[in-house]
Amino acid sequence: MDKTLKIGWLFPNTFSLHGDRGNILAIRAEGVRRGYRVEIDQINLDTKEFNPLDYDFIFCPPGEIVHFEAVIAFLKPHREAFITFIENHPMLVTGTSIGVFGKKINRNDKTIINGLGLIGLEVNENHAVYGDDLYYICEYNGNKMEIIGNQIQMMDADINEESPFGYLKYGYGNTGKTKFEGAKSGKAIFTNTLGPLLVCNPWLTEEIMNLIETNKELPVWEEKRDNSLEVNSLKTKVALIEKKESRLISVDER
Amino acid sequence: MKFYFALWLAKIIGAAINLVSRDRGTNLPGEKALVVDPNFVKNFKNIDYSKVVFITGTNGKSSTTNLVAHILKENGKKIISNLEGANLLSGIATILAKESTLTGKLKVDYYIFETDERYLPLVYEQLPAENMLITNLQKDQVQRNGDPDFIYRKLKEVINPQMTLILNNEEPRSRSFEEIAGRSVYYGVQHHDESFTKGSDYPTQACPKCHHDLSFDYYNVDSIGPFYCAHCGYASEKTPEYVVTDINFTEKTFRLKGVKCNMPYDLPFMFYNYAGALAICQEICDISPEQAAQAFNNFKNIGGRFEVLKYKAKTIKYMRIKQENPDTLQSALNIMASDQEEKMVALGLYTLVDFVPHYANTFYAFDCDFKPLIDSKVERYLCFSEHVSYDTANRLIYEGVAKADITIMDSDNIKEIFAEIDKAKTNNIYLITWISTFEKMKKFIEGGQN
Repeated sequence: MDKTLKIGWLFPNTFSLHGDRGNILAIRAEGVRRGYRVEIDQINLDTKEFNPLDYDFIFCPPGEIVHFEAVIAFLKPHREAFITFIENHPMLVTGTSIGVFGKKINRNDKTIINGLGLIGLEVNENHAVYGDDLYYICEYNGNKMEIIGNQIQMMDADINEESPFGYLKYGYGNTGKTKFEGAKSGKAIFTNTLGPLLVCNPWLTEEIMNLIETNKELPVWEEKRDNSLEVNSLKTKVALIEKKESRLISVDER
Repeated sequence: MKFYFALWLAKIIGAAINLVSRDRGTNLPGEKALVVDPNFVKNFKNIDYSKVVFITGTNGKSSTTNLVAHILKENGKKIISNLEGANLLSGIATILAKESTLTGKLKVDYYIFETDERYLPLVYEQLPAENMLITNLQKDQVQRNGDPDFIYRKLKEVINPQMTLILNNEEPRSRSFEEIAGRSVYYGVQHHDESFTKGSDYPTQACPKCHHDLSFDYYNVDSIGPFYCAHCGYASEKTPEYVVTDINFTEKTFRLKGVKCNMPYDLPFMFYNYAGALAICQEICDISPEQAAQAFNNFKNIGGRFEVLKYKAKTIKYMRIKQENPDTLQSALNIMASDQEEKMVALGLYTLVDFVPHYANTFYAFDCDFKPLIDSKVERYLCFSEHVSYDTANRLIYEGVAKADITIMDSDNIKEIFAEIDKAKTNNIYLITWISTFEKMKKFIEGGQN
């Protein structure tokens, strides 16, 4: 059995906004805890040989929209491979980069960038930035869980007929007008949750790792991680959410 | 006529505020004047825009503005500047109203204005400065600013071929404005004892010209240092025209164009402010480095980010970081790491409370390299501040700190913070927290808790 996990980190330098490197640290730490050797490949615009199917997990952090066209041009030849990859393999795409994998990015200067079309969503760049906490329920790899994080919304995501990744308990989510947070397609997660999502929510990291083990026909690790620190973190952040002033339409009214 | 009413109103409000307290209401007169006359700043009569300098960017604009103003004053120039950091249109309106005659005439040599990068287009619309220094464009205040490109586009609206830009040679985004400006002058800092590198898993950034990866030879300040793009060749100059060299931390001196200057603050982020200020003085105001040098002997920065408190036998070294700004946190970490004495580190990253909604964001800490700090004899860590202390502790744990070496306090209770400080064997305490908690701690000490 192959005891090496291969992680693909897309465009770590071109796309780096919100301490997203934390997600790589979290997945690596969980892999190491389960006794695997974890290899992290940084994929950039100069990478000569890239095949999504070489990886067990792919992470794409959020980036500035100004770089999208160059990134999409790089990824386009691999579109079919990505479609195959996300059928069974976990992929995490956060923040603005959702747009790269969607159909269209409508910029506020009226220009349009065509995305990879891996998922049927469209994004619309906003004139103003919205930043807040984000708290929702989702299901991944057959397990329901709560996710806590932050959102810096540069653009709204219209997920059309796609399934949302989560259902909001608090936060702006995709548009500030629905209960939906992000989207999912196959085993790929497209979420507005920024920064070290997998650090703050190790229960999601564990499910991603369980899925990797299943894909590799490895026994699923049974010894649970001690998540007490992260549970305390979630509780105190939920306490902030419950007491703070908000100008959002309440989730119940959406 | 509207302008005169606005001006007189601003003067009356300004005088009234001065009677109550000289420290208050830096924006109010301008705010009211702009309500009466929305073109208030534009309507001042005799401003020579070639004598107006904007100093903008993410970090360092206040210190650079303060230093330029100080050097010019020391050299006998009459200037108008917004030294109190009122860097929006209303702040500039306030100071212009204060300094003008009753008919709106101004008689000064230079106008040196710190300008908020986000609101620069609004200021420029009324005050088309022909000179601008851009310190750097970094990740900062993401709740308002989103990403650096959001601010880049704001600045791009303003920069034009009539402008002279003073640009940080070693900061890729701001340096790239050279393509639009009529004339660009570059400043930088040579390698010094506190220059540093980061591991390969710390992201750099995208080349602003071709989107490929940028590489840095080293950093003088986080995200700032000699850089190059292997794809398109975009790179910093080896020796920019205004470069701070020979930085001597023992003697507290540096050189620029061969002129030796005293270094009033030996913090690495100040070196770029020194270089930028000297570039403005020479290029725009015709004050040479030789003439400027003497002003470094008595420069006191307003609102500095480093303070020392004495508490019992302990020395508490406070470093104020900017919220959501990895670069100022990295600078603070580097300062702590450079102290090889045993130390306690009290980290109070905090909930963002600038405006509604408040939120618990510490993700910028994952952009910072904590390893040198962890390798520098830390006796104990205290992670405090309500709602974010667990995340702060987790950042340290991911860098290799044992859970047992961290006290987590989900609170900002001053007494509890001091109780933890009391427990430390070392007297060497480093503190990072927001200004409000720091002020309370200061009062606690001043209240006889020594």
